[in-house]
Amino acid sequence: MPASTAGVADGGATSAPSTGTAAPPMMSVRDVHRHFEGMHAVDGVSVDVLPGHITGLIGPNGAGKSTLLAVLAGTLPASEGTIIFDGADITRWPAYRRARHGLVRTFQLPSEFAQLTVLENLLVAAPQHRGESLRGALLGRRYWAADERREVARARELLARFSMTAKESDDAGSLSGGQKRLIEIMRALMLRPRLLLLDEPMSGVHPSIISEIASYLETLRDEGLTILIVEHELHMVERLCNPVVVMAQGRVIGQGSMSELRRQREIVEAYLVG
Amino acid sequence: MTYYLTNILVYAGVDIIACLALNLQFGVSGIVNFSFIVFQAAGAYTAAVLSLPPDSANGGFQNYVLGAQLPFPLPWIAGAVVGGLLSIPVGLVVLRRLRPDYQAIAMLVLSVIVNLVITNARPFLNGAAGLSLIPQPLSDQFNPYSAGYLWGYVGAAAVCALLVFLVAQRIVKSPYGRTLRAMREHELAVTALGKNPVVLKMTIFIVGGVMAGLSGAVLVQFITIWAPSTWLYPETLILFAAVIVGGRGNNIGALLGAVLVPVGFEEATRYLPQFGPPGLVPAFEWVAIGMLIIGFLWFRPKGVVPERPGRIPAASAPGGGRLAEDSGAR
Repeated sequence: MPASTAGVADGGATSAPSTGTAAPPMMSVRDVHRHFEGMHAVDGVSVDVLPGHITGLIGPNGAGKSTLLAVLAGTLPASEGTIIFDGADITRWPAYRRARHGLVRTFQLPSEFAQLTVLENLLVAAPQHRGESLRGALLGRRYWAADERREVARARELLARFSMTAKESDDAGSLSGGQKRLIEIMRALMLRPRLLLLDEPMSGVHPSIISEIASYLETLRDEGLTILIVEHELHMVERLCNPVVVMAQGRVIGQGSMSELRRQREIVEAYLVG
Repeated sequence: MTYYLTNILVYAGVDIIACLALNLQFGVSGIVNFSFIVFQAAGAYTAAVLSLPPDSANGGFQNYVLGAQLPFPLPWIAGAVVGGLLSIPVGLVVLRRLRPDYQAIAMLVLSVIVNLVITNARPFLNGAAGLSLIPQPLSDQFNPYSAGYLWGYVGAAAVCALLVFLVAQRIVKSPYGRTLRAMREHELAVTALGKNPVVLKMTIFIVGGVMAGLSGAVLVQFITIWAPSTWLYPETLILFAAVIVGGRGNNIGALLGAVLVPVGFEEATRYLPQFGPPGLVPAFEWVAIGMLIIGFLWFRPKGVVPERPGRIPAASAPGGGRLAEDSGAR
């Protein structure tokens, strides 16, 4: 029996965002649990992620947000429950297979490949590159040069779009926190994701860069990319996200727009103030 | 003098092959293979028992399996193949589920266990006494004690080292090598980008195993003896020292490290004046190897020739040219 459900999933306590669209969800999460030796980090969560939206996932520290994100991305296996992504049951899929299917995540802590250049960081993510297998490597540059040319061009387009061209030859480990976040987002975009899972992309980032990252995310959303974002910066959540899912103690306690959530006393008490 | 020089050069060739293999596993991919010497030993034993006659042919003073008496270069090829084949079960057990620190411990334990098993299972590979009178390649056609033969062996070892170097360069400079380096930096992030880390680790582990097996085969048919005392687990640490000193992740660094540490450093300490009780100076050699590793990790962790990130020239983007010209370490 699900311990908690929200919004679209069960028509429960809060209403779904008034999107005016009947599009099926990009991802349906049903009664997902994740236990750590008796500790219920995620305790029966059911949510839907709507296509073309930025869905926010907020809650106090220890609410289970990052664990849920890891379970959705396959980094952690679900103890129970079902995850449907783009019509396929991906609950038992390993993380790399989910990524190849278009479900790509970033991490709460910077996860750049520190000793690779910025451009190399992006190229690592290039899908279906002929030079990426041992066989391709042994066959030599002629075998994979065309793929490399194509992916270098794509990576440079992304770098230009995120105003990072000047940094392409820098070691990724030498960049600022905000630039590392941008690398992670660009790297994920190299995979042409259909659903991007972002784990606190504004964390540790200089305030001047936060707004810049938010603008990039808005642009990506306007281009049709679906995003699920865990974030503590509430003014950014308010600006970017609709709907917003609130978690506490491993459960979903509400879902809706930020203004709707602010009207719910238990959510305000649990998280939105103090 | 010729014997001494050729001896050093063959050892250099063997150590270069071994260090390039360990560099691919440890330096490029981050697999801390503390059982590396086991794969070299597997290649050596394979080449030995495939080149030796049946054990009944020499009066039964040593017991071993096979004794196939195969002609050169089949024992070398088989040594490389067995090194690779042995990597499959070891890799599947150790690399699939264990965290990197536990992988290192498991590898170290494996090295000790395999040595103990071979030492005590006498009918298999003659136990602690090891194998001797291992035939040298083509020794029925040439005098293996002649200067020409010795230099020929140096040439064969050099060809093997060159082939291994070229393969290692192709790997490191390719997108596959780039992904291996990324896996070394952040395995979880590589997985989240759609790469299967088990496949990545297994393939490079097997490639390293093939090279390690080849290095053992080349060595054993030169020195003509092989026993458990020649491949104790600390031998792996010397190769690690070489890769760390030379520059992990960089094939040129691994090559340089092989010349500086297993060959140069050990040869230099050989000439230390003897003092104290017997065994003290050899023990100091091990202390010196340990100090060398700690010193480099502390003061120059990237080694003499550090790994250099791949910088892709702007001109190569749309119009052709040599793409990924500088991709990977040199």
